[in-house]
Amino acid sequence: MQQQPQAQPTPKPKKKIRVPRVVNGVEQMVEIEVDEDTGPGWGPNDKHKLLNQRLTRVDGPLKAAGVARYTYDQRLPDMLYARVLRSPHAHARITKIDTDAAAKIPGVKAIIPAPLSEVRFAGAPVAAVAATTPEIAGDALRAIKVTYEVLPHVVHAHAAIRPDAPKVVAEESNLQEKGKNGDPQKAEAAFATADAIVEGEYITSRIHHACLETHGMVVDFRGGDTATIYASTQGTFTIHGDAAKELGLTESAVTTTVEHMGGGFGSKFGLGLEGMLACRLSKQTKTPVKLMFTRYDEFVMAGNRSGSWQKLKAGVKKDGTIVALQARQYRLGGLGPGSQAGQPYIYRMGDTYREIYALHTNEDSSVAMRAPGHPQASFAVESLMDELAYKIKMDPVEFRIKNLRDEVYHRQLKRGAQEIGWSRRNPVAGGNAGPYKRGMGCAVGTWGGGGNDQCKVDVTISRDGSVLVAVGTQDLGTGTRTYTRAIVAEELGLTIKDVHERIGNSKLGNANPSGGSTTAPSLSPSVKDAAIKARMMMAERVAPLLGNPKPEEVVFAEGKVSAKGQSMSWAQAVAALPAGGITSHGVWRSDLQARGVHGVCFAEVEVDVETGHVKPIKMVHIQDGGLPLNRLTMESQINGGMIQSLGMALWEGRVMDAHLGMQLNPGFGDYKLPGSLEIPEMVPIIDDDDKREAVIGIAEGCIIPAVGALVNAVFNATGVRVRETPATPDKILMGLMNPNILSRG
Amino acid sequence: MTKSRDDRDDQNKANHDPGRRRFLKGMGIAGAGAAIADHLWTDAEAKEAAATPETLSGSVRVVLDVNGKQREAQVEPRTTLLNTLRNHLDPAVTGPKLVCDVGTCGACTVLLDGKPVYSCLVLAVDATNKKITTVEGLGTPENPNAVQAAFVEQDGLMCGFCTPGFVTTISAYLKKNPNPSLAEVKEACKGNFCRCGTYPRVFEAALAAAKGSSV
Repeated sequence: MQQQPQAQPTPKPKKKIRVPRVVNGVEQMVEIEVDEDTGPGWGPNDKHKLLNQRLTRVDGPLKAAGVARYTYDQRLPDMLYARVLRSPHAHARITKIDTDAAAKIPGVKAIIPAPLSEVRFAGAPVAAVAATTPEIAGDALRAIKVTYEVLPHVVHAHAAIRPDAPKVVAEESNLQEKGKNGDPQKAEAAFATADAIVEGEYITSRIHHACLETHGMVVDFRGGDTATIYASTQGTFTIHGDAAKELGLTESAVTTTVEHMGGGFGSKFGLGLEGMLACRLSKQTKTPVKLMFTRYDEFVMAGNRSGSWQKLKAGVKKDGTIVALQARQYRLGGLGPGSQAGQPYIYRMGDTYREIYALHTNEDSSVAMRAPGHPQASFAVESLMDELAYKIKMDPVEFRIKNLRDEVYHRQLKRGAQEIGWSRRNPVAGGNAGPYKRGMGCAVGTWGGGGNDQCKVDVTISRDGSVLVAVGTQDLGTGTRTYTRAIVAEELGLTIKDVHERIGNSKLGNANPSGGSTTAPSLSPSVKDAAIKARMMMAERVAPLLGNPKPEEVVFAEGKVSAKGQSMSWAQAVAALPAGGITSHGVWRSDLQARGVHGVCFAEVEVDVETGHVKPIKMVHIQDGGLPLNRLTMESQINGGMIQSLGMALWEGRVMDAHLGMQLNPGFGDYKLPGSLEIPEMVPIIDDDDKREAVIGIAEGCIIPAVGALVNAVFNATGVRVRETPATPDKILMGLMNPNILSRG
Repeated sequence: MTKSRDDRDDQNKANHDPGRRRFLKGMGIAGAGAAIADHLWTDAEAKEAAATPETLSGSVRVVLDVNGKQREAQVEPRTTLLNTLRNHLDPAVTGPKLVCDVGTCGACTVLLDGKPVYSCLVLAVDATNKKITTVEGLGTPENPNAVQAAFVEQDGLMCGFCTPGFVTTISAYLKKNPNPSLAEVKEACKGNFCRCGTYPRVFEAALAAAKGSSV
């Protein structure tokens, strides 16, 4: 029997665009085909009623009162608490796990082995326990006896690169080539035309995300057909697929929720080890299980920003033209590949040649962290730029402008120089008198920040006048809830309070994971599209009451709906809706977003040359980003970018013991985060000269340049070039004691 | 070995004071277990403990005065006040957050008889007969105190996980010093960590709250 062919809709015109796809937080560009977009745009950036204003967060009152419910706050009836047993060895085979004593402890309900027979870093999971209290789970961990066959390990890059170093993975070299780019002969030849050459090795330490809410999940499974997972995640939709496999359920039987989450910074995607173990414990006990990492766990097994070791050589002419660059870049990602943007990053450097390698050690794999690979590359190249500028006695700002093609940077550098008071700067490094020496530095950064077509948004207007915007996305503290509401409220001429949002649930419309600064540019066009469609649906309904205008002639403003000189209140207008209200479905429109952001950072520091102590004085960051959805939260993010970079530049770094193979500072007592006393005057500036009427993600752009700016400021203050972050007092003092030896190179 | 490090009078005055600053002062230099034990167990306390043979084990019933309500829980003696609030009271009190569990981050700050303490460093059995105020007891979303309202207005929060600790710390501090300078606010907040990087606006919120009205 022949089937009747279904009627096909007329195909819409298509166009090809390049969009970022995020795989575990790492952005990759792919070409996709999308509908040729039509429809109203955002309008000029300075003509918005709610967007581009200073909107307080809609979830602010809940958070400030301590009643916002995070994953860590979930407590379900009969819930068990899980803990993870970690390997004390950096490399070992597990030969036996004896759980007899642990299983006898009252309150211990389940003990499962982790799925590894060989551990390759200290802190690797060996077993997991579920018990009636976290304290009892801790007792059980101490009672488990594990027999290890200890194998040789290596945890430092300079040791791992030696041919005779212990192999991190048997039969595999610790050094893996990841790519070559450029012509080495041409670069070599170009050096001959240089007036000055700078050669240096730049190192960035591994740093930690240090999310205050540790990684973890609560798995609510009681042996039935369905399960709910409360997850501290950056991707509502990245959990249920793998969780369903673990639990033996269908995907649609598992719901993920994430109402509020306590920081991710790139480290929280997917079910993860913590979720896998929680699912297995819950499946075995048929009881809800909460597995939140301890702070120690978080340091040693929840990932980190990969370290870097970069050997750079550049040649420059007296007029500031850079003629050549050679770069050998090692990504220090532990067991993982690590990440590092290729040099010369964003500068024009004539003939360039680079080689990139992954250099493995017995450490947990690095994972994505806010602008993966960029602060590392930026620090090295911005230090190099500074060194070149000083070598040819050219102002570092002028030198950068000369070697940056994009004029957006030119205006931002000029503005930043003005904001920090660059003219006050002593051009002679270390030239100021007295033991407290001030100095200034600058750096620039870039990021994509474009969106993709994943978000499906519903806007429902009910007959009682309430407006609900629903989509499964997550708010990491970036202000997603707030702008989601604001876009709809503005479109319907309402206030923020008139609209409510429902997010953070995998049963709602699909949304992309928050990686690569893609959330706002992916979500906001879909929200806008849904809002426009809802407005048009409502306009059609009320048109007969307003003298039958065309739907697009109906004006929604200030809580009123008007056309043809007639006006009605919102309450009157919604009365025209059907009993079930109306629901519109929004999809992504590429014309409402764009990609490509620019940022510059300027920093001023004061260095006590007797102690090497660095006191940050002032930081300025100028960031463009098309249409700022919410100025208040955008400025907060810029501050956050600067502060996280401040930590990376001056204090933060994982310290590994070569012999034990363990991290020596897996806690806030020894791993120095920026604290209140170190915060300088901070000036976050939104670059309103960017007139693009499009939403672009900025979260990552604003974390990139500050490390270089700060360390360059240390040089300007002291004359000491610290080529390894964090720029701690020991390195500065070393440089001061012997000016001929540049610190660690 | 560490007694001389701390001022004797200070120690005698506050035998049972688990104040955050005082504790951190003891922690800061060494962080060694001995130093902590030595610090927390003054001679007087040690004698008192020796003279009282009672050992708490198994689980004990505690009655806690939390935000003005008598709350009961059955906990092991080793259970911290923080874990008791979060895991054993029903309904749970989850404003104070568990972040480090070792007194380094301030996210679990509560007021014990009006003084800010790290509730991860206080045992529930030591918190009986004391007035415990958590962030929830300072105000509600509908009726926030001046600090909570200022945090929202000034955007003193992003992910919000550190916020209860900061709000509690600052609320207590402003009672002590209703008109602080920026430097004093920074000093008051030094026992609290934020990772998102909201500090500048936390300071602004504290100053705005001080200016605005009583806490």
